Amino acid sequence: MIIDINFIGLIIASIMASAVPLILASCGELITERSGVLNLGVEGMMIIGAISGFALMTVTGSLIIAVFGAMLAGVLISTIFAFLTQTLITNHVATGLALTIFGIGISAMIGKNFVGIPGKEFPVLFEGLKDTIPLLGPILFGHSIVFYFAFSLPFITSYFLKKTKIGLIVRAVGDSPESASNQGINVRLVRYACILYGGAMSGLAGAYLSMIYTPQWIENMTGGRGWIALALVVFSTWNPIKILIGAMIFGGLTIIQFHMQAIGVRIPVQFLTALPYIVTIIVLVVISRDSRKIRLSTPSSLGKSFHKDN
Amino acid sequence: MNTNLKISNVTKIYPGCVANDNVSLEFNSGKIYALLGENGAGKSTLVKILSGVIIPDEGKIYLNENNLKLNSPSDAKKNDIGMVFQHFNLFETLSVFENLIIDSDEQRESLREKIDTIMKKYNFSIDLDIPVLNLSAGQKQKVEIIRCLIRSPKVLIMDEPTSVLTEQETSELFLSLKKFSEEGILIIYITHKLKEVMQLCDEVAVMRRGKLVSVSEIKNENIESLANKMVGQNLKTIKKKKTKTSSDQLIKIMNLNFTSEDPFETNLMDINFSVNRGECLGIAGISGNGQSELFQVLSGEIISEKNSIEFNNNYIGDLNPQERREYLMAFSPEDRLEQAAIPQMKIFENVALNNFKSSNFFNNGLINENKIKEHSKKIISDFNVNTDNIELKSQFLSGGNLQKLIIGRELITSPNLLICFNPTWGLDVGAINYIHETLIKINEQNKSIILISTDTDELLKLSDKISVIHKGKLSKIMNAEEVTPEKLGILMGGAN
Repeated sequence: MIIDINFIGLIIASIMASAVPLILASCGELITERSGVLNLGVEGMMIIGAISGFALMTVTGSLIIAVFGAMLAGVLISTIFAFLTQTLITNHVATGLALTIFGIGISAMIGKNFVGIPGKEFPVLFEGLKDTIPLLGPILFGHSIVFYFAFSLPFITSYFLKKTKIGLIVRAVGDSPESASNQGINVRLVRYACILYGGAMSGLAGAYLSMIYTPQWIENMTGGRGWIALALVVFSTWNPIKILIGAMIFGGLTIIQFHMQAIGVRIPVQFLTALPYIVTIIVLVVISRDSRKIRLSTPSSLGKSFHKDN
Repeated sequence: MNTNLKISNVTKIYPGCVANDNVSLEFNSGKIYALLGENGAGKSTLVKILSGVIIPDEGKIYLNENNLKLNSPSDAKKNDIGMVFQHFNLFETLSVFENLIIDSDEQRESLREKIDTIMKKYNFSIDLDIPVLNLSAGQKQKVEIIRCLIRSPKVLIMDEPTSVLTEQETSELFLSLKKFSEEGILIIYITHKLKEVMQLCDEVAVMRRGKLVSVSEIKNENIESLANKMVGQNLKTIKKKKTKTSSDQLIKIMNLNFTSEDPFETNLMDINFSVNRGECLGIAGISGNGQSELFQVLSGEIISEKNSIEFNNNYIGDLNPQERREYLMAFSPEDRLEQAAIPQMKIFENVALNNFKSSNFFNNGLINENKIKEHSKKIISDFNVNTDNIELKSQFLSGGNLQKLIIGRELITSPNLLICFNPTWGLDVGAINYIHETLIKINEQNKSIILISTDTDELLKLSDKISVIHKGKLSKIMNAEEVTPEKLGILMGGAN
């Protein structure tokens, strides 16, 4: 049997495409968590991004307004979270869960009018170069700008955290907000910024789903990807490069199990559907076993409220 | 250039407590100033005001006649006031260099050069590229000092800097501080240790209950006069009567090992010792050398091999703390509010946590509240806990009162062995005296103590025998009379 080498390229490209929302949301949440804030509202922020992007696209007709609008929607809903947890010092876990429930509810409400409306085609870059290189062509070329952004994000995030002053400040705040505050760093400001950035990335991840990946609005269309993104952050031990690996494994297994189901492999469907979740977590646990490194990269103050007393 | 720092009529009031009551002080460079006081005397509040962490309700700060507005720590830094906090303000998971560059505006290379120059000048040697959590306490403090020196401060404030240091590290620190002072940096040294004030400082200001009690030159003072000013009453010094110890062995530890899965805990290696009845064995060491692991192994929080601990002719290595208590062992852990008591629970409820089969605190699964309350009242009166409200949540007790309650709870069943870990950590002189007296009394009743402590003076005062723990290994056991603080210091640093 001859397998078309470009077909393999296409499968890899589709795996990468399914990894995009996970990478975006995880890298955003990673920055939030590195500053010591645990935001469990990723799923909620994603779904808000998804409906906002789709609705703005339908209403205004502008893809640019839609994409940035979705990010802004993510920022706005995460502002609620930031205000509650940083200004009113509420519990991170409870507030994050409430955010997810809120997001799913309100998106369903807004989305009622958009069910069944077809999406728009999103422009892709380097379409013409797709056939120039075998195998690599379909992998590298012919994707949306969001796709390219997502795959550069882990590297940008890693550089930002390790090499820049602001990245250092974010890590410092996550390590010890008390010390940071005594050093004259405005802990609350840093955490607000990190939460809002996480919201923007989740919003973008949602918009990718409803505008590019499956261009339509379906209620609850994020389908738990926000939770997977959260798990990726933890199991990657807050390492953006490992997030990339984890997202690819998860995306890959999701796609492959679809194909396996289609071919009719004699394995129970439920097991196949569960496979990506199990394997991703096992792989990430195995590659992140060094407990010394875990200690060094885990934000020590994660999920703890910081209240500056005077 | 001369530096003059003036604190003028500073007042800071917290609900229910006046932390600083109209305090005025003046400092000039070229001298080392001590700010002396017990815990809660208000000295930490005062220096936090100087470093911008706390904003005073009233009063002004002048540096060289300029009125300073210190609304945040960065204001203090801008005005050349450097502060080394008692609890280090370092980021444990960041490297030393990252810790230093975070509040500096300089380029990486020029900062590195600057740090190297400082380290050479003062003989510091620290690897800049390892995470701070791998440093010893003394090294961490040096990082804090370097952080201040980078900004060439006019004023350097040290808040209880020796609480985590060995004798050697302390004398190194004193040499550095004297050097800084000669170079014109004004040094304010906060402590409650009188010996250090006499050794290091030129002038001393004493605070008590938020008020400034006296300002004087060291040459006009001695340890007793300062102690009396600090406490506000004449203190009797307590001393242990050296009795001849029995040879009746109570507990024996044989070839005890503990390997932790957490790489940041210390492994215990081949621990062997025994304690006779009526004896106090002191275990010295710099914190983090395996003391808390040793305490947990002895108390049964960590279970070991059955035969590794023999107590009163029973092998009890595999028993949990509750079961060990039934054999009349008692434990007083280091962290009073995290390990020894539950802060949100009432006094009598905390007492009930330590229940024995014989104490009848529970009937058929129901709480026998009257019995517990009666028992609690007895502890409070027997052990001088300064409250008559057993319904009070234990978090509202002062450290001293809480420690008395805990020791009382442990001792009221008259155990044969008390194992305590830093029992006077962070307490004021009065409470320390009381706890020490109590421990001496236990020995006089022919009962034994294992005292794990980082306070060398305390160990020398109370122990009959002393051993030093370093990196999870015990030194040989010495008779307390043969031991000097210097010798302990050397052993604590890891030498033989």
